[in-house]
Amino acid sequence: MNSSLDKLLAILRRDVLTAIRHRSGFVVTLVGVFTELAAFYYLSRAIGPGFRPDGVAYFPFLLVGTGLYTFFVMSAQAFLSVVQEAQQTGTLEVLMTTSTAPGELVILSSISTFAGSLTNLAVYLFAGIAVFRAAIHADISSCLVVLALSLAIALALGILAATFQVAFHKGSALLWLLGSGLWFLSGTMFPVQSLPRPLQLLSRAVPFTYAIDALRGALLEGRSIGALAPTLAALAVFAIALLPLALCGLSLSLRRARQCGTLSFY
Amino acid sequence: MDQVVFESVTKIFRHRPALFNWVGRERTGETLALKNVSFSAARGEVVALLGPNGSGKTSTLKLISTMLLADAGSVCVGGFDAQREAGKVRRQVGIAVATERSFFPRLSARENLDFFATLDEVPRPDRARRIEEVLHDTGLEEQTDTLVMKFSTGMYQRLGLARALVKRPAVLLLDEPTRSLDAAASTHLWITIRALARQRTAVLLATHNFTEAAAVASRLLLLHRGEILTYRSLRSDESADDLRALYFRLTGEVDESQPAIQRAGMPS
Repeated sequence: MNSSLDKLLAILRRDVLTAIRHRSGFVVTLVGVFTELAAFYYLSRAIGPGFRPDGVAYFPFLLVGTGLYTFFVMSAQAFLSVVQEAQQTGTLEVLMTTSTAPGELVILSSISTFAGSLTNLAVYLFAGIAVFRAAIHADISSCLVVLALSLAIALALGILAATFQVAFHKGSALLWLLGSGLWFLSGTMFPVQSLPRPLQLLSRAVPFTYAIDALRGALLEGRSIGALAPTLAALAVFAIALLPLALCGLSLSLRRARQCGTLSFY
Repeated sequence: MDQVVFESVTKIFRHRPALFNWVGRERTGETLALKNVSFSAARGEVVALLGPNGSGKTSTLKLISTMLLADAGSVCVGGFDAQREAGKVRRQVGIAVATERSFFPRLSARENLDFFATLDEVPRPDRARRIEEVLHDTGLEEQTDTLVMKFSTGMYQRLGLARALVKRPAVLLLDEPTRSLDAAASTHLWITIRALARQRTAVLLATHNFTEAAAVASRLLLLHRGEILTYRSLRSDESADDLRALYFRLTGEVDESQPAIQRAGMPS
């Protein structure tokens, strides 16, 4: 346990130092957050107060949808970048020869990665609420449950992207699907009910739909855990199904890469 | 007891066609990296792996480090099987590869070593002292707090050695460790290798440098096209020229340096 904590601290330290020394990255991210929020704020003003999807004002609706969706994509992207960089520099092979088991290394690395994505989400939501005056009525406990389940799903997606990268050297394909293919199905910018019936059914197979819906309910409408139970249950099912699948896939792809000598191929 | 044992190890790299390969001309088939290779190395031995490019030297080291898995046969390190007990094997092995860029560029040399030492479970109270020691041993004291993105190729290679040494492995694997080192650093490394051997570390050293092999090795493993041509002890009076002559005689390769040496009137 002490050893794992020690390793987690080493990974966090590595990531924080690397991020701090990429000073321009910080500034660009902050500018990006404010530019995006400003665009959504003025978009919602242009559309007018009459448009209230799911009974809430449009700007908070966008704030939660895009914030959480970006969290999912960023998490997978960050995870994928870690693997791609490790392949390009050769650190992946070396990391696989340390005394730390690959599974433990992945989990510990993910904690660090998701700490970054969660901080980004927190800054995004805080800026939307504090600077752009998005009206909220939060139930903190249900918000935390939604975030915990979202975290588990993001972890699974990140590991799946890493698996694709190790197995096919094409993790970016999965990322493209997440980034471009699924956003319009998951109610990020408009209610799922606006979609044709077949696409509405398809959207139910996308975990983001439930996560975004649940966070809107918890953060904007103050809905309790009990009131959100069906959505939370669906999220939990996705998490329970996806996490072991992703871990198993990564384990198999790493073993296969060691068999084929392709650990550092990219 | 033998620290590293190869028993009838075969390693094949299969070139699998990419998806939709019918639009390309990608090569398929397989490359036999090692064929039925058996040898062992004991504690305190320095084994020089010689052989032409593609003879299987690096594959041998990667199999011991668990970076690769054997297709047939078994690789054991310290009594543990590299396939079934990879974790236990990894605890005992340190590896420094030839093209060493595998560091985090925005961390300093010390920070990189601290990171890898933590993952290698070097006890926290010993970590700082050991890092100082290996930085000294590899001549990187003055670059301790320099970001490795500013390192030269030779410095990267020294840092790779430092990383392999910091866990104090029972088996040290070195793939062309002096390829980018200057003469003084190479000599210093040879002294370090001999000292490690006296401390009962098994060292396996893949090299193309006959002088290096003669300077440090106690045994010679000569590979050619994935097969062992010879595996024997080295006599203390065997020189680099002896090894060169043996190498070209057994591999059947042409020593293109000989006519030039003769033209220059130098003894071959």
